[in-house]
Amino acid sequence: MKMVTIERERLRTALLLTTPNLLFITAFCVLPLAVLFSYSFFQVDFVSILREPTLDNYSRIAESATYRGLVAKALLYGLGIASLCALIAYPIAFYIAKRVKVYKAALLTLLLIPLYTGDLIRIFAWRVVLGAEGVLNSLLLWLGIISEPIWVLLFSPFATTVVLTYNYLPFMIFPLWAAIEAMDDSYIEAAMDLGCRHVAVFFKVVLPLSGAGLVAGFLMVFALVVGDYLTPQLMGGSSGVTVTSAIHDMFGAAFDWPTGSALAWILLASMILFVVCVLYAFYRSPWGRGVRRSK
Amino acid sequence: MRTRNWTALRGYTFIVYGFVYLPIMLMGLFSLNSSDIIAFPLTGFTLEWYDQVLHDQRIFKGLLTTMAVAFPVTIITTTLGSMAAIALTRYQFRFKTLFMALLVLPFFVPKLIFAIAQVTFLNDIGISKGLPTVWISQSLIILPFVTVVIASVLFKMDRSLEEAAEDLGASSWQSFRLVTLPLMKNGIMAGSFISFVLSNAEYTVSFFTSGRVQPLSVLVASDFRFHLSPSLNALAMLIVVFNILVIVVSEWFRRRTIHEL
Repeated sequence: MKMVTIERERLRTALLLTTPNLLFITAFCVLPLAVLFSYSFFQVDFVSILREPTLDNYSRIAESATYRGLVAKALLYGLGIASLCALIAYPIAFYIAKRVKVYKAALLTLLLIPLYTGDLIRIFAWRVVLGAEGVLNSLLLWLGIISEPIWVLLFSPFATTVVLTYNYLPFMIFPLWAAIEAMDDSYIEAAMDLGCRHVAVFFKVVLPLSGAGLVAGFLMVFALVVGDYLTPQLMGGSSGVTVTSAIHDMFGAAFDWPTGSALAWILLASMILFVVCVLYAFYRSPWGRGVRRSK
Repeated sequence: MRTRNWTALRGYTFIVYGFVYLPIMLMGLFSLNSSDIIAFPLTGFTLEWYDQVLHDQRIFKGLLTTMAVAFPVTIITTTLGSMAAIALTRYQFRFKTLFMALLVLPFFVPKLIFAIAQVTFLNDIGISKGLPTVWISQSLIILPFVTVVIASVLFKMDRSLEEAAEDLGASSWQSFRLVTLPLMKNGIMAGSFISFVLSNAEYTVSFFTSGRVQPLSVLVASDFRFHLSPSLNALAMLIVVFNILVIVVSEWFRRRTIHEL
């Protein structure tokens, strides 16, 4: 076969492989999001939706301190939990990548299992543990460590934070582990030989070389926490009002699809803005050198 | 590094793993406890809660719906995910970054926003909710996971095998069918198992797109929310044990290929 024919055939195969996916995602994900966007310009009139484009929904949300606060709270939770996960995950990822030999596959598989059991069961299990008449309280009472159940365990920001961290920790450990696993040990040894202390080795060698994994994990945890609506609702009690639960209410009992759509798109837009900023900053920073070079 | 530091790191890792498994272990413990109050002290051993769950007609019906959702979703996502994984690991084309971005889009869009987008979309084109709407919406959010699992196997596969086949005169279809497909078989198996488990566990999107045909997760969601009971513990435990088996088998398939090559 001629070179040109082979090239053309490869191109045709690539097209054949990507088209079904492109069509499927465009038709059933991009298009619905566009429809949702169009709804954000409509108005609700008693029980029907008036399809006359207006910016009222957006201006109303922008003027309301409650909605602004809810969006800010969601983004802050995302940042906070992602940072917490990074702190917890780094030593584990390092340990699994650089020390564990025989049980590596087992330890990584063990991390997958809670991830795949589903949000509902994980939250249910934590309610069993943290409830006022739950396992932890009854254990402490029984052992005589406390004399009154600790009410703040469940239905509090504390409970929300614990469960969110628990839910999304694997999304941080995996990319960090992959990045550290690919890292050449001799860099660490060289730094140690040259007199670096552990803390310095981490900041000068491990952190810069695993930057891509950190950014990937951070963005995933961030997006998942901002978008999580079950956990704050089921674990947070009265503190559990979030922007996602507000959107949910507008699509349920309140029947205000247009405002709900506008709020959803504001949240989505601020998430996209954040992700783009982080990626751009990473790409320009010294940590992104590896990514730039491989292009 | 000195041994003392590694010991500290190991201890820390085990503590975090303990934290990850603590709730599931306690759930398992109390699913076997005879008291109907989920609290210490333990009162005695019983299998009554499992017996209750296994004889519950409502749960059985929900389980059938879950299966009617999971099998088509597994077929859709495994087919599309294999194609995407091959395209990503074997071909260079323009707009590859855009293609990747589109693939992970359903993962990064909050599930609730994805779900209400489906609701407005279905409302506008006038399709009523039912099994097909759950198949499609679940497939979209599961597709990124399946693609990553299959691509992880393809990534480790030596490309020279396929190149050799093509140099020896195989058409690209022949080299795919006779070389790539047999080698990626384990990846496809692993991907389909993951898809099956994720479909079983999915709640948010199913809740908004299922209408009156409710899979098990939607059916028991209100129970999970409002009353905690030992029989729910038993049900959750059965689901967890089932998932563990499927994931262990799936990882075994995936890693077998990676080690063989």
